[in-house]
Amino acid sequence: MNDPHASSSGNRPGDPFENSPLLRIKVVGVGGAGTNVVDRMRMCGDSELELAVVGTARKCLVDSPVPEKVMIGAEITCGFSAGGDVDLGRKAAEADRPALQKLFAGVDLVFLVAGVGRGTGSGAAPVVAEEAAKAGALVVGFVLLPFSREGSRRARAAEEAVVRLRNACHCVIALPNDLISQHTDEETSILEALGVADEWIRRGTFAIASMVRESGLINVDFATLRQAFPFFGGKALFGLGRAEGAGFVEKALQDLALCPLLHLPDNRYVRRTDSLILHLRGGPDLTMTAVNRVMDFVTEKFGCRDNTVLGAVIDSRLKGKLEITIIGTVDVTGARRPPANVTHPPRAAAHSPASFALTPPAPAPAAREPILPPPEPELPDTPAEIAAEIEEPDTPEPVAVAAESERDSGFIDFETGRPVGASAPAASQSEGRGKRQAANEAQCELPFPGEEEARGHFESTARYDLDGQDLDVPTFIRRHVRIALH
Amino acid sequence: MPRSRIIAGVEIGTSKVAVLVGEVIDGRSLNIIALGQATSRGVRKGVIYDTAAAGHSVHAALRSAEHNAGAAIESVYLAVTGGHLDGFENSGVVTVEDADNWVSPNDVQRAAQSARAKALPDGRLYLTHVRGRAFLDGSENPHPIKQQGSKLELRYWHIHASRREVENLLWVINGYNDLNVQEVIPGSIASGHIATTPEERGLGALVVDIGAGTTDYALYRKGKVERTGVIPVGGDHLTNDLSMAFRISFKQAESLKLRYGTALLEPDKSRKVMLMGDYQIGDRELPLHSITRVINLRLGETLAFIKNKLGSAISQQNTPAGVLLTGGTAQMPQIATLGRQIFGVETRVADSPDWIRREDLRSPEFHSVIGLLRFGVQGGALDDVAQPQTKSGFWPRIGQFFK
Repeated sequence: MNDPHASSSGNRPGDPFENSPLLRIKVVGVGGAGTNVVDRMRMCGDSELELAVVGTARKCLVDSPVPEKVMIGAEITCGFSAGGDVDLGRKAAEADRPALQKLFAGVDLVFLVAGVGRGTGSGAAPVVAEEAAKAGALVVGFVLLPFSREGSRRARAAEEAVVRLRNACHCVIALPNDLISQHTDEETSILEALGVADEWIRRGTFAIASMVRESGLINVDFATLRQAFPFFGGKALFGLGRAEGAGFVEKALQDLALCPLLHLPDNRYVRRTDSLILHLRGGPDLTMTAVNRVMDFVTEKFGCRDNTVLGAVIDSRLKGKLEITIIGTVDVTGARRPPANVTHPPRAAAHSPASFALTPPAPAPAAREPILPPPEPELPDTPAEIAAEIEEPDTPEPVAVAAESERDSGFIDFETGRPVGASAPAASQSEGRGKRQAANEAQCELPFPGEEEARGHFESTARYDLDGQDLDVPTFIRRHVRIALH
Repeated sequence: MPRSRIIAGVEIGTSKVAVLVGEVIDGRSLNIIALGQATSRGVRKGVIYDTAAAGHSVHAALRSAEHNAGAAIESVYLAVTGGHLDGFENSGVVTVEDADNWVSPNDVQRAAQSARAKALPDGRLYLTHVRGRAFLDGSENPHPIKQQGSKLELRYWHIHASRREVENLLWVINGYNDLNVQEVIPGSIASGHIATTPEERGLGALVVDIGAGTTDYALYRKGKVERTGVIPVGGDHLTNDLSMAFRISFKQAESLKLRYGTALLEPDKSRKVMLMGDYQIGDRELPLHSITRVINLRLGETLAFIKNKLGSAISQQNTPAGVLLTGGTAQMPQIATLGRQIFGVETRVADSPDWIRREDLRSPEFHSVIGLLRFGVQGGALDDVAQPQTKSGFWPRIGQFFK
């Protein structure tokens, strides 16, 4: 059972269940961009996770250092790419469903990485996600949106693909490539710039994977995680923040608050997440008070009182530092859709029954005070692409560099290190399905609205393209001008 | 007893709905009687996206205007804008019928009909046909009637719009006591005629009306409207850009824009301003340079779009009167200097005409609604806008009536 105090056992060094093969996590790159990201993950030595790539282009697959490769639609594309044709990408994936089923057999958690806007990523990724979900896995999608410079046709294809993916994944985190420019300056090389997106994805996958695999100060098990993403079709919110040095807790929170991905235009959306995962990585000097402070801040800011999942990992090398990752989902359909229980009960059921028990909100009672009115998922005008924008970008350059190297060591540590700081009180999953949630589940399904990313205030309006640019997207984003925030 | 009519100019803008009520006496002179305003809801980028919400604010503004005027509005002259407006140039060319090549009014009529004959795709409708210059045997001739020539050409600038958007506007107005819309007028022309003097139009001028939701422009040459256009970008975009750049709410961004926004870059990169200025929790310092950079990029881009669309039509030779900026966003400090940098010709914020004596109407944001009344006084079809006899002198005597 999902005993909230179970984490204490997780803190025992040498926990026999750690890294047990019972929990298989796979990162799957779909299409060219997705493959590239997974390739780079592989080259960084992220061997903790199983890596796989799915593609239509033979050349791309041959070049990939990833061991597990699935070629789809060989008969349709003859081993060439889908050439930007979304339909072709979809047909290719449809044709090779059995191969995809094999890919996901026995996998519990799938991170799907795809660049949308062209053929394979847009067309095949939703099919791949469907297969993963059918196999009973929890599917978290990371989607790279095209640069707005790439033109409106791409943007439209990307939007459609994101909507389809949302309906096939438990959580889709959309990363507008445009925002990369907000983290780079004139001297940044293209490799470094693309590395920003990699970094976002790596930290996202790492946060989730380490949460369920690594034991720590506060443990979250897989069932709890699954519980946090109970629906298909929602929007996701993804934010990162980190800081070090004196007052690192406050600084990290401020960094998180400034994360551009969280703050697309209209802040209303962040105030009504339906479920939220909060993951902390800190040193042995991370105190319970600090954890409570973070919980307070995050629940207040993101308005998720009844379904916040907290995980914390202590790493001795992170003394005086704190990394915060939040992943939230918002049910924008207004009718919560129980996930594909219907389609994939077997494995899911095996993992999750425990998590449905109402666990008493354990720690940080203050954090759960109903600070905000219950979020209203039905507001039709909240659009807000929650989309994830990720990144804690705006840290001034020097800090960012320091943090970067820090992160690398963090990864190594993840593989070998043991959690420290077992003294903490306990755990904290606080999920609990509110009445509202239950009531909403009973409602009928509403059609998922089509939508666009990054238009903020203008999301509900017709778009107007001039020279292939969507004029509602801020000029500084389209022109890749970095705006200093400090 | 002079015959009088109560008319209203209505502009359903993105930030506010403005209703200006006037009394037209004998179809010649106008008393501006009252103004009614309401905060706009359900309108973005000059287009209604929520008819119910827009209806409430429009009706509130109409009610307040009628209340202030103490009279019922008889007919409405309505401004229309939005990215759905489009225009094209099309000439009507006819052979002069008369055996001795004397141009008759009938020839002009036929040329006008031929110019307007072009059919539009489904879902589009003509808002107006603006007559431009006339040519007789290839040489320009502003008054061809009773002149001699064999071939008459009339140039027209045709403005068309999405039928659905226009019907939305009409529906909202009609919903108020079955109020009748007399005329639908492109916002660019409505404000263009107020922001410029007849002399400036005669010389050649560009009027750029930057509102909250859209930027409308009208190019005048030889006293006539030669080009109009709409770029669906306005002050709201500045606010939205700021809110996205600094991760702040739309409301905070709006206040930031109004307090600190300038069209030119702040040269001192170290200068900081407070987000809210109340030193409460959550207040923080922002670099003024960054704020102005966001605004400068957006405004500069928008003006450059117009410059690119019009090309060489904007130059010292073709628009000696320069560029006149109007609309709410024209109140942004230093915007004229930015305009000068981009257009390369003299640029200034338009003054209100002297005959507008009410101080509260002398802001550029009212140019368009006052322009609507001007068309109301003429009472004629908008097609007449640029006809020779309306050029000057036809401007009615306008009086002011203070309650």
